[in-house]
Amino acid sequence: MSDEAITPRAPGKKIPIFSVTRVWTIAMSTVTQLVRMKTFYFLLAFALLLLVVGNVSFASSPAQALSTLKKVSFGAIDLFAWLFAIVATALLIPRDIEDRTLYTILSKPVRRGEYLLGKLAGVLVVIGVSLAVMFVICSIMIIWKQVGYMADEQAGGGRKEDIAASLALIAKNGFRIELAAAAYASFLKAAVVAAVTILLSTFASSSLFTIIISILVFLVGHAHSMATDYWLRVTDNSMAVLMVLKIFKIVIPNFQLFSFSEGIVTGAALAPGVLWQMTWLTAGYLVVFIFISLIAFVDKEF
Amino acid sequence: MSEHAVEVNNLTKVFRTGIGNQYVVAVDNLSFRVEAGEVYGLIGPNGSGKSTTMKVVLGLMAASKGEAKVFGLDSGDIRARSEIGFLPENPYFYKHLTGAETLKFYGKLCGIRGKKLKARVAELLEIVGLEDAARRRLGGYSKGMLQRIGLAQSLVQNPRLVILDEPTAGVDPVGSREIRDLILRLKEEGYTVFLCSHLLEQVQEVCDRVGIIFEGRMRREGKLEELIKIEKQTAMTLENASPELLAKIEGLVASEEGAAIVETGHPRTTLERLFIQIAERRSKEKASAEKKEEAS
Repeated sequence: MSDEAITPRAPGKKIPIFSVTRVWTIAMSTVTQLVRMKTFYFLLAFALLLLVVGNVSFASSPAQALSTLKKVSFGAIDLFAWLFAIVATALLIPRDIEDRTLYTILSKPVRRGEYLLGKLAGVLVVIGVSLAVMFVICSIMIIWKQVGYMADEQAGGGRKEDIAASLALIAKNGFRIELAAAAYASFLKAAVVAAVTILLSTFASSSLFTIIISILVFLVGHAHSMATDYWLRVTDNSMAVLMVLKIFKIVIPNFQLFSFSEGIVTGAALAPGVLWQMTWLTAGYLVVFIFISLIAFVDKEF
Repeated sequence: MSEHAVEVNNLTKVFRTGIGNQYVVAVDNLSFRVEAGEVYGLIGPNGSGKSTTMKVVLGLMAASKGEAKVFGLDSGDIRARSEIGFLPENPYFYKHLTGAETLKFYGKLCGIRGKKLKARVAELLEIVGLEDAARRRLGGYSKGMLQRIGLAQSLVQNPRLVILDEPTAGVDPVGSREIRDLILRLKEEGYTVFLCSHLLEQVQEVCDRVGIIFEGRMRREGKLEELIKIEKQTAMTLENASPELLAKIEGLVASEEGAAIVETGHPRTTLERLFIQIAERRSKEKASAEKKEEAS
């Protein structure tokens, strides 16, 4: 060890109530952690999946082949987003507690809320980047196949009207910029799932428990209206039942609302303003879940 | 009035166990003070309440009763934490980060940025002797190296108080001595060091004052010299003393009423010192052999 001077500093430094830079530092460390856990290998698997689906197709027409390619790609994007959000979030905080890394972080001038937000932001950055890359890969694949099918159609000959109709059908089932909204919907859904998982991991004792309960919440959230309708039908609709239902509606997010992305993938038009509405809804869910997580985490003893 | 670096007043920590009214008292009405600039050792067996006390001082746990203050601030106050550098027992930092990245991460959390941070990281790596391992991931670090990077991270924001939980646990004698030397240097530089350990010899070598905790209660506390000296006895070590001189001394002692020689013999080095001497001699021999080889 060297003989360099290591003088302590003068006292009296003020600590800001909330620091975006501290949140960002924790977020970037989380990103590095997830990247170095070889997370992005999934992207390679995704590219391979698209290559297989794009080239080994049993579809009867080019339009059907493109439609299948889109459904598979966006299904994979959605699956990756929510599953990754649950697993990554459920692993990060318990691991920090188990490894006592959290002791060294919280013994620095870091607020617990900043730590939670940093972890969530880190997971969302990785999901966001992954979804963007997946969307680009998938768009390239769809456009490439679409251009190929169109060229084949034109080269095949036939009546002009038939060719034009086929080309229109291929274009309808091919690439549309609205598909970006489908990827964005997956991102929003993943953000809500990650916030739910963060909440669970603030009081759960194991990652496995957090993962199982998060998946359960996710599945129940997909049957949100069905569950509430059923409940209202089979109960007496008393004040107590309505209260429980209200709590259920807050605690279990309605993931059905994010299903508009499926319509976009199958060719439906994107309703105006829906993205803004969903963004605000997601922000609302995030605020509620992070707030409850904070209440649970602030007084937690390690 | 001097400022206390740590002030623990009537601290009690109770943990509930299971369902119902079952509970365990981990710390029971504990009070002590650590003065600014001293090295204070809290010693006790495993489960005696050392780590719980430390966690309350760090603000990681709340007291059931009583209070803990750091430089006059409540230990739960975030400002208190900018005054503290903490090295936990068996520290596990992010294995995916390199040594330099780890220090940068903790530095950023303390609000240090840019050139200042870069310079501080380089300085700390040099202080703990890890410049060569700066770009290696912590996953590949040995136990001693982890402990040293842990010490470096605890110093990153130049805190006034350094809290060390079993700082040499699992480290070999050479590494252990390096850490001990660093603790002494921290004291020389004006840091306050508060350490918990059950390695009594280590505590004896570095601490100014010691508190002995057992079953959550302070059993003895005071200056190390006063605690360990045997009031009625005096030690004298002679060099090149002839048998005649020894006989004279024995005669003198025998002539004094009530005085007696309790023990005579040759002083011994400790096994640890012997180990370090051999290790140092061997590394010097190796270095000189390498120099000779280069010269030839």
